Amino acid sequence: MEDILVVENVTKRFGGLVANNKVSFSMKRGEILGLIGPNGAGKTTLFNVITGVYRPDEGRVIFKGEDITGKPPHVITRKGIAKTHQIVKPFNDMTVLENAMVGALFGKRARQITIGEAKEIAYQSLELVGLAEKAEEFAVKLTLRQKKMLELARALSAEPELLLLDEVLAGLNPKEIEEALEIIKKVKEERDLSIIMIEHVMHAVMNIADRIVVLHFGWKIAEGTPEEVANNPEVITAYLGDPRYALRFVKRKGGEGDGSS
Amino acid sequence: MAGKESTLSHYLKSPTLLIIVFVVLGILVARILGMSTLDTLMTIMYFMGIALSLNIIMGFAGYVSFGHAVFLGLGGYAYVLLVYFIKPLADLQNVGLGLGAFVVAVLAGLFAAAVAASVGAAVLRLRGAFFAIATIGLDFTALYLMKAIVPELNPEQFFGAQIILPADKIVEKDIVFNAMFLTLVILLAVNYYIRKSPFGVGLTAIKEDEDAAEVLGVPTTMFKIIAFTLAGFFTGMVGALFSLNGGGVDETLFNLGHSIDMIVMIVIGGLGTVLGPVVGSLIYFELYDLLLVHYPGVNLIILGIIVAIVVLFFPEGLIGLLRKYKVMGMRLRDLLE
Ligand SMILES: Nc1ncnc2c1ncn2[C@@H]1O[C@H](COP(=O)(O)OP(=O)(O)OP(=O)(O)O)[C@@H](O)[C@H]1O
Ligand SMILES: [Mg+2]
Repeated sequence: MEDILVVENVTKRFGGLVANNKVSFSMKRGEILGLIGPNGAGKTTLFNVITGVYRPDEGRVIFKGEDITGKPPHVITRKGIAKTHQIVKPFNDMTVLENAMVGALFGKRARQITIGEAKEIAYQSLELVGLAEKAEEFAVKLTLRQKKMLELARALSAEPELLLLDEVLAGLNPKEIEEALEIIKKVKEERDLSIIMIEHVMHAVMNIADRIVVLHFGWKIAEGTPEEVANNPEVITAYLGDPRYALRFVKRKGGEGDGSS
Repeated sequence: MAGKESTLSHYLKSPTLLIIVFVVLGILVARILGMSTLDTLMTIMYFMGIALSLNIIMGFAGYVSFGHAVFLGLGGYAYVLLVYFIKPLADLQNVGLGLGAFVVAVLAGLFAAAVAASVGAAVLRLRGAFFAIATIGLDFTALYLMKAIVPELNPEQFFGAQIILPADKIVEKDIVFNAMFLTLVILLAVNYYIRKSPFGVGLTAIKEDEDAAEVLGVPTTMFKIIAFTLAGFFTGMVGALFSLNGGGVDETLFNLGHSIDMIVMIVIGGLGTVLGPVVGSLIYFELYDLLLVHYPGVNLIILGIIVAIVVLFFPEGLIGLLRKYKVMGMRLRDLLE
């Protein structure tokens, strides 16, 4: 299978701070890649480099064989990459449906679909994430959980090939996490998606990801299957700092449904 | 699901279109039956025109241009200079019951639009207050340029930045009326089209959260420049015909007061809709007149207080307020655009 995404040697600095340091990885079409690392590791920054929000100081991003480094976000979105925001950014004074319509109208098929078709696509995305009955509400009225799901619906409405999820599970209770994971698995199968998931909910990402990339202080410190990563001593110490917590983290990787901390 | 209903039934349900048609016909009927003076109707159309022009960038995209009078001025000067110095254009004004004057106004509008397009990329990088201030700077710059350039063009005739058109270069008021009326109809159509189009959805997304809009695929820079250019173009046309109506032009056309008029009308009526500026300009016009008659001297103070109350307590404006309610099970939000 071809590589849908190749990140090559990406470095992104903010003043003296190196948020991404020579990060490289690639992923195959159809993969779910987990991106983990402690707070401030540079995960969101990497998403922003991939989607063109930030231009990397060094390195390249290759999507479907094309160098997209430094292209503006809207261009990259049209090429088929969609992202959810870690800090939700709903269009508050638009309805939930209109929010999702923006995704459809300016996504992969921008300029090819009518307002009516966009409504249709948007509504389907809302149904998928369980927000259909809120379609006519203003987005400002949603709960945080619903706003997270709206982020997902907006991204799905863009009909992407590569979906970047930035902590969509944060703030959900164990049952909701299970539901969200089911949704993600379902759309992945239905739409032949490739997904990168940033996630702090360990058991979830360990369960759903095919492979995992670990960032720490901007560096990629490990990459591999969930088992490999979970048993990597460097990850355990560096990622979690606290070896006792690390142990729980290793155990947790098998423990489905046990969402309590 | 939504989108399946027939287009016709949708339009019949849309009071927005009915109100627009009603307003347009109202102006026409008032004109034909002589119910209002030409000057009154011209003033109404002028107010409505500038409000609908600014609406494209301020109402839809959320960029409050405090110096938008610059395009009024540029359009006015462009028009007056064109007919002053180019004889065929002066003659063209009298062709086709106003169509000719309309065409010259389009040229003047294009000049304003060219300025908007060329500064747009720079000023639209700024947000909020910084954008507002940058447009004020633009307004002052254009004003002082006119003051410097205009006297040079014809030292015997032009005093300061004032240009008075000679009798053979102005036209019957009827012709100005027709040209302005046509401009207004087109402006209404353009506003309505934007409101219903993906372009309008994109502008609204920009107003809500520009960064999120860009990530969702909205070409934010291009959309803003297009909106700003359209707003400049139509403001320029209105400024052109306003100047023709007055028989000339002077620097007061660049006054900040005009910018504030436009903003206030949109705010009173409600941002981001088509009806907002239409209703807002009618209310503003009535208020303006009423206060001037009954409270000369303090009329502007009272107007200011009314505006402050609207902004403080009804920031969505009249149409925005109505859109929150339901009438007989129908949500007004679906009906009032
Ligand atoms: N726009 C910015 N300007 C300056 N510094 C930034 C900016 N964005 C991120 N940083 C810094 O870069 C580092 C990486 O931040 P980033 O948001 O990518 O981390 P993260 O891995 O997503 O963390 P979290 O798990 O908390 O979301 C942090 O130290 C952060 O403070
Ligand atoms: Mg983050």
